[in-house]
Amino acid sequence: MAEPLLRVKDLKKYFPIRRGVLQRTVGYVRAVDGVSFEVERGETLGVVGESGCGKSTMARSILRLIEPTAGEVWFEGENLLRLSGSSLRHMRRQMQIVFQDPYASLNPRYSIGYTLEEPMIVHRLHTPAERKRRVRWLLERVGLDPDYAKRYPHEFSGGQRQRIGIARALVLQPKLILLDEPVAALDVSVQSQVLNLLEDLQDEFDLTYIFVAHDLSVVRHISDRILVLYLGRMAELADAEVLFVDPLHPYTRALLSAVPVPDPDAKRERIILRGDVPSPANPPHGCPFHTRCPVAMDVCRSEVPAWREVKPRHYVACHLY
Amino acid sequence: MAKVLDVRGLRVDFRIDERYYPAVHDIHFHIDEGETLGLVGESGCGKSVTSLAIMRLLGPGTKVSGEVRYGGKNLLAIPDAEMRRIRGNDISMIFQEPMTSLNPVQRIGTQIGESLFLHRGLTGRAAREQAIQLLQEVGIPRAEEVVDDYPHQLSGGMRQRVMIAIAMACNPKLLIADEPTTALDVTIQAQILDLMRRLSRDHGTSILLITHDLGVVAEMCQRVAVMYAGQIVEQGPVREIFKHPQHPYTIGLLNSIPRMDGPRTRLTPIEGNVPSLRNMPRGCRFAPRCPHAMDVCRAQDPEPVMVEPGHDVRCWLHAPVKEAR
Repeated sequence: MAEPLLRVKDLKKYFPIRRGVLQRTVGYVRAVDGVSFEVERGETLGVVGESGCGKSTMARSILRLIEPTAGEVWFEGENLLRLSGSSLRHMRRQMQIVFQDPYASLNPRYSIGYTLEEPMIVHRLHTPAERKRRVRWLLERVGLDPDYAKRYPHEFSGGQRQRIGIARALVLQPKLILLDEPVAALDVSVQSQVLNLLEDLQDEFDLTYIFVAHDLSVVRHISDRILVLYLGRMAELADAEVLFVDPLHPYTRALLSAVPVPDPDAKRERIILRGDVPSPANPPHGCPFHTRCPVAMDVCRSEVPAWREVKPRHYVACHLY
Repeated sequence: MAKVLDVRGLRVDFRIDERYYPAVHDIHFHIDEGETLGLVGESGCGKSVTSLAIMRLLGPGTKVSGEVRYGGKNLLAIPDAEMRRIRGNDISMIFQEPMTSLNPVQRIGTQIGESLFLHRGLTGRAAREQAIQLLQEVGIPRAEEVVDDYPHQLSGGMRQRVMIAIAMACNPKLLIADEPTTALDVTIQAQILDLMRRLSRDHGTSILLITHDLGVVAEMCQRVAVMYAGQIVEQGPVREIFKHPQHPYTIGLLNSIPRMDGPRTRLTPIEGNVPSLRNMPRGCRFAPRCPHAMDVCRAQDPEPVMVEPGHDVRCWLHAPVKEAR
């Protein structure tokens, strides 16, 4: 098989908890606690989990927007975590990110044209005239009027701003785009416009996506494979179709059963989990899910389950298997 | 069945730069005893404004007209003091973000006690015991301890349970829930929806459930009203609306959501954007985005027509040939 585009190995991000006048470190929030996976060229890997499961921290750690505590991130034969200075900057051209709230990630004082041109200036690409041409071409690619280059972020609706966020990610012709809740802030009718746009751009530019979201129906729609995170750890990884038909981890099962389906005739067994997600500053011993798991056994309370391929291409961390 | 609430011709105007614009226009709906009615629509469609108008919680700069009939009275016409007795006692409300509705510097017990004192005259030990009992009923573990906690000590799901406990303190006839689970994770949402269903069944409470999530509607409601740009464009029994939607907006909405079930196909979005209050199109407000728009749609606003008993649509495609008036 071809070399995967991205290989993440045992990625960890611990945030120190500081207390007292001397700000001594009294513990760590284990936001991402040993995550490993590969992303093939041209695929979409969906990453799901509830708030605090570490999905956004993981995405940002891969790009080193947050400096990871430990681990390896291999991209095009290089370990990103070992790079610095110009070689890191060069690598970042290949990997871009789109955030949830495009309004917060666009500079309100820059015209859209300048926002889109800036990455090319930073990386010293093209002549000024070519850059302007490229901005107009990109706006058209994402379904906006090229004349919008003169306008400012506040003049746009949420859906249009997210299109601008996507155009900004495309400027440097990256191979990989991390999408961090790209449609969570949008209304359903606009959400579907943006999802279709992402699919079209992926085909047109041979893009690879890591799609981080909490909405399971959106992730199912767009992903080839799906990784389920719980408290900073991997619970399950499988092909999208397989995960929704045959979920193995009790957490995945509960998560899928909890999503309300827009069909009044749908008959489903709902698994209602007790309690809340424990704090990642003080995660439970053994399996992180055992405090809420309906089928927890003694071993779950004492031993961390291993990450195993229990069926072809289907990985799970659970003592049941 | 007896109607708990009957809204007739409700209209809400907002003042923007010395002019009034209708944010909610010609709304008619009712809620039966023990029923859960869903009010769905996208942001800015007027669903929250409708609920605030019913409760008379809209501030200055708004004009409210029409009728909101409850217990033989028009809530829009009664004195303030009488309205205060109804709020929290007969009709209560919960909101999307419980942290902004709870007082951060008061203990949970005190906040539940306030409603118990105002409407039922309970104080001291009696109020405390009643508060603990209410917390137990909404499924809060260690209720005897939580009653002395502050809101920040609780998780989002627990806070929403506290809000529901306060709302249910006086056993209201109607609970208005405005996006009650939107800020919560899906496993916590399942817990809260389950709780609301149980309370409605055990106490016969009617619920007006405001949401943007069609899945939540399918799961919770008996009937649903779909709002677009300040109007109800379609309303009827949930099964009827989901299986045989008639308004092009309802159809578009159902086609544009990714599904958890069935094959993965390309989504069919509704093109364009929701019109802004100041630039409402003439005629049908959905016409500029509607794939079936005709000349009449761009000229004249359609009236709601009945397509089946209890199923109304506001669309020229379904309007009978216009009679001379």
